[in-house]
Amino acid sequence: MKKILAIVLTVAMMLSLVSFASADGIDIKIWVAENVVDFTVEQVEAFKAANPDFADINVVVEPVGEGDAASKMITDVESGADIFGFAQDQLARLVQAGAIEEVEEENAKVVEAENDAGSVGAVKLGDVMYAYPMTSDNGYFLYYDKSVVTDPSDLDKILADCEAAGKSFYMEINSGWYQTAFFFGAGCELTFDTDSEGALVKMNSSYASEAGVKALKSMIKLAKSPAFMNGSSLSTATNVGAIVDGTWDSGAAKDLFGDNYAAAKLPVCDGYQLGGFGGFKMLGIKPQTDDDKLAACDALAAFLTSEEVQLARYNAVGWGPSNLKAQQSDAVQADVALAALGAQLAYTIPQGQYPGEYWGLATGLGDDILAKKYDDADDAALLEILKGFEATCEGYLAK
Amino acid sequence: MSDNNKIPEVDIVVDEAAGVIREIKPEKLRSKKGHERRVNTSIYVILILMSIIWLAPFVFLVFQSFRSYLTESGAMVNYLLPKQWSLDNYVWLLTDPSSDFLRWYGNTVIIALFCAVLQTIMVLSVSYTLSRMRFKGRKLIMNLVLVLGLFPGFLTMITLYFLLRQLNLTQSGAIPGLILIYVASSGMGYYISKGFFDTIPKSLDESARIDGATRAQVFRMIIMPLAKPIVIYTILMAFMAPWGDYVFASYVAFGSKPSYNVAVGLYQWVNVNDYQGYFTRFCAGGVLVAVPITLLFLALQKYYVEGVTGGAVKG
Amino acid sequence: MTDLEYFKLSKPERMIRGIGRFFLNLPKKLAGGIKKLGLLIVSLFKGIGTNIADLFTTFKNGDWKTRLSYLVMGFGSCARGQWGRGILFFLFQTVFNLYMFFPNAQFSGCYYLGKLSTLGTVATYKEGRKTVYGDNSFFILLYGVLTLFFIIAFIYTWRMNIKQNKVSEELLKNGHKLKTTKDDVNSLMDSQFHKTMLALPVLGVTIFTILPILFMILVAFTNFDATHQPPGKLFTWVGWDNFRQLLATDTTSYGSTFRHVLLWTLIWAFFATFLNYFLGMLVAIMINKKGIKLKKMWRTILVMTIAIPQFVSLLYVSKMFAADGLINTYLMKWGWISAPLPFWTDPTWARITIIVINVWIGIPYLMLIATGILMNIPADLYESARIDGANAFQMYRKITLPYMLFVTGPYLLTSFTGNINNFNVIFLLSGGKPLSLELAGNAGHTDLLITWLYKMTVNDTNYKLAAVIGILVFIVSAVINLVVYNMIPSIKNEEDFQ
Repeated sequence: MKKILAIVLTVAMMLSLVSFASADGIDIKIWVAENVVDFTVEQVEAFKAANPDFADINVVVEPVGEGDAASKMITDVESGADIFGFAQDQLARLVQAGAIEEVEEENAKVVEAENDAGSVGAVKLGDVMYAYPMTSDNGYFLYYDKSVVTDPSDLDKILADCEAAGKSFYMEINSGWYQTAFFFGAGCELTFDTDSEGALVKMNSSYASEAGVKALKSMIKLAKSPAFMNGSSLSTATNVGAIVDGTWDSGAAKDLFGDNYAAAKLPVCDGYQLGGFGGFKMLGIKPQTDDDKLAACDALAAFLTSEEVQLARYNAVGWGPSNLKAQQSDAVQADVALAALGAQLAYTIPQGQYPGEYWGLATGLGDDILAKKYDDADDAALLEILKGFEATCEGYLAK
Repeated sequence: MSDNNKIPEVDIVVDEAAGVIREIKPEKLRSKKGHERRVNTSIYVILILMSIIWLAPFVFLVFQSFRSYLTESGAMVNYLLPKQWSLDNYVWLLTDPSSDFLRWYGNTVIIALFCAVLQTIMVLSVSYTLSRMRFKGRKLIMNLVLVLGLFPGFLTMITLYFLLRQLNLTQSGAIPGLILIYVASSGMGYYISKGFFDTIPKSLDESARIDGATRAQVFRMIIMPLAKPIVIYTILMAFMAPWGDYVFASYVAFGSKPSYNVAVGLYQWVNVNDYQGYFTRFCAGGVLVAVPITLLFLALQKYYVEGVTGGAVKG
Repeated sequence: MTDLEYFKLSKPERMIRGIGRFFLNLPKKLAGGIKKLGLLIVSLFKGIGTNIADLFTTFKNGDWKTRLSYLVMGFGSCARGQWGRGILFFLFQTVFNLYMFFPNAQFSGCYYLGKLSTLGTVATYKEGRKTVYGDNSFFILLYGVLTLFFIIAFIYTWRMNIKQNKVSEELLKNGHKLKTTKDDVNSLMDSQFHKTMLALPVLGVTIFTILPILFMILVAFTNFDATHQPPGKLFTWVGWDNFRQLLATDTTSYGSTFRHVLLWTLIWAFFATFLNYFLGMLVAIMINKKGIKLKKMWRTILVMTIAIPQFVSLLYVSKMFAADGLINTYLMKWGWISAPLPFWTDPTWARITIIVINVWIGIPYLMLIATGILMNIPADLYESARIDGANAFQMYRKITLPYMLFVTGPYLLTSFTGNINNFNVIFLLSGGKPLSLELAGNAGHTDLLITWLYKMTVNDTNYKLAAVIGILVFIVSAVINLVVYNMIPSIKNEEDFQ
């Protein structure tokens, strides 16, 4: 019995060690969100037509959500896509795991010149550019029902309107992303500096301050309001009067509100304008072992994030471009959601790199608020909580 | 009439006035009958309530699956009955080219079928051998399986993933890969089958072997026909399992949408932000998955009960 | 204390004595167990010793065919006419040599063995913009372990080869005939049938269960996490560091989170098992009662819920209980509550909700088992009890309950262990949330150890901590199993006293 076992074991091993050599041509795999798969396939054909040198590459486009793409790349780089779309909060993780390649020098210069400052900052770590910016619309703002909300400039008025109409105001305060609307708006800061390797080396935080306590109290007050619902996804929201959400939901918002569809920048809360993050999506290339393939990937990624393609993408699926010229086009200027986003952009900072654990920590803070843990806490207690929060964040820095 | 308050000791009293011997039901017995009826009624009430509670989520699921994603909202809403009953969701699932549902369904059926057959072979081999034969290392194997079973299953996910990757059985090759994983370790689930085999008297084996049959022949011709209940039970369990595996299937098949199984596909519709307004289609998909499995289960319910209770009784 | 005095005690006092006795015996049993383990190890070494001695004697006393078999496996068997065995042995040796000393050093067994102690030293570097991958720590570890397995298998087979030579020599000397190849093949269907039947399952389990588990146990001693990801980066051995981190006794981060999650895991497993058990039994008794009609219908309705795949039912139910889900909406519409109930956002609410929904899942299953067992209880036990004047509750306590506990004791144990690892219910219902500032590593208030492990593996790619958690889950389950398994006989003894 053991004989048979050992023999078959070996045979299996032998089979596996024979590496399956790659095909003759160049095979490139691309991962993008589901709703742009068809668009991307078209664009790849256009690329091949415009660049006869690369006419015989085989490109496969697979739908993998931007949230998942980074995790999957890190889990198994070798089987991952050669070009993949992701949001900027994953950049440091990808670099640290060795799952993303630097942008080619010539391309980097073009990128820097043609895209808005926020997106360029988002694709760089230290001085090194790691990805090609694709959109600048990953920030959030306010969608609302015109017939329910009369004045979207003040949070209390919005809540009162929603309550009167029996509808809800949605905001995901237990997300480290949306939470910053309160903290940054009230005047606090929480950012991390990285070196070129993606390691976080310094924390700049002023959460543990009067402004921080003010922001925390606003959130606690909001959570107590009967019209408040925690969430940010229209798909699972019911009875929406207003929602803090982003352009990815603009289609769903239009469907839901119909003729009453409207968007605006975030309201003022307790005397201060809600701020937050600006978000960006980008294309990354994974480290390649073959120079020719790398050159093909460089060219393809640069093409997919060029001005024409960004504009075409906006026309196809409504993604706000990061390319400066594309942003000036009439179509983009007329878009309600993008206009609101643009208005909100003035109050946001581009989202930089945050330690992976920060998101869980912030969710913890939000969940505690939702669980009514701090409902009766006084200012001193809230300050202590924020101090603890800061200390834990500091602990996340690279040793 | 005797006192109604005192509980009589006997069933019969002598009614001197009427001059007859009469049988009187003691108070205790009479109140017991009423008591019994009350208990039964309350049990019926509880059972009816339970049935409603148990079936409610599925009934709701079915209702929501008829709410069109085109005309009404495909996302979650706060009312139960659709304003308009429509089959749009089902039509989309089954005919729309952008819906891979049929593909996923087919994948899962293939995986389930292969698992049902191969796993049953593995499990029956192991349980028969351990039940019938005594050999060096038998105790060792049984204890080892017990110990291995205490390790959590997800611990080895990443290792199995890379093992499969070496054999090119991930992503687009996920289906054979999943089948391989499910079947390879299935021999460890021999416990219930072995319990069943233990109840078949060894004398059958002995008499056959005296007549000159080899063990293999005994297995094939004598034991297997007797083992029909446990075989069906094992096949049923093996068939039903792959339908619900989200974790491992998503880990192995990522990036390759045509290789998903229904669990992965449906889960994404509910929990991934890219898919807005897919909730009612999730409900419809859920119904399409649940109905055939439930029917199959009900048809084979007898065997399931035998397997479960047999195993539990043996301990 | 004499037997008579024991009988005079009341039930609770007896139970207390029983528990006291159990704990007093515990150190003795532990000592006994350790002694047994020690004896096992000693016998193992003795076995190895005898084998080595035997090797020498066989060489000394054997003929030239046997001696040559030391070098060329299978030679002796072939020379004596047992071609089947001989060729198999020789094939095995060839394959083994090929694997160990493969011409392309990168793939040979020796290569991996050599790197095993350092888990790779050659870092990945860049040539221009091209990446050249260096050592891959993951595969070094994986194939290293595989090679070790293989070497052990080889030694065992080689030893078998020698032994067979010796046995064959004896047989021939005493004038017996050796088994021919045809005999060997036939015996595979008969006396060696177990080998035929177990070959594939054992192979499957070895490669796909034992190897991965061993691998992950070893990973727990490395620093394989998000910043040490092959193929780009290397990871290496760090000894007990990870265990120290997770078992730290201070009240910050991982140590306290681990204790927190462990406590909830045990509480959950307790409630999930016993609540379902007693309620399921109750339902079974209710349906089984004389005078209830349509027994089959009630059972079928409940049993249907087992068939529906959990991911459909649980996902849907979790949405039902959301803050803006069906239940809250209708409760508010009917005016019973004014604000949505925090089913998933308040930690205690979330835990209770999960336990309650788990009852919904588990009762049909338990009811089936209980029904099967109830039907086996002889009816005359109940009859005589009724004549003696027992009411329903007393009959339950003295007849039904002890009988059920006796029969399903081991099942309860497996169910408890299974609930410790009950991933689906927690993951699909609450995803382990709500999180909190007090819990590190993305652990939530309803996370079990195993859902935390999953998050570590998939979301954080922190494999080293996941491996440690896995090992600790194993230890917890093993301890509980050992302890409870020894308690069960004492329940049996109580039965006799009854």
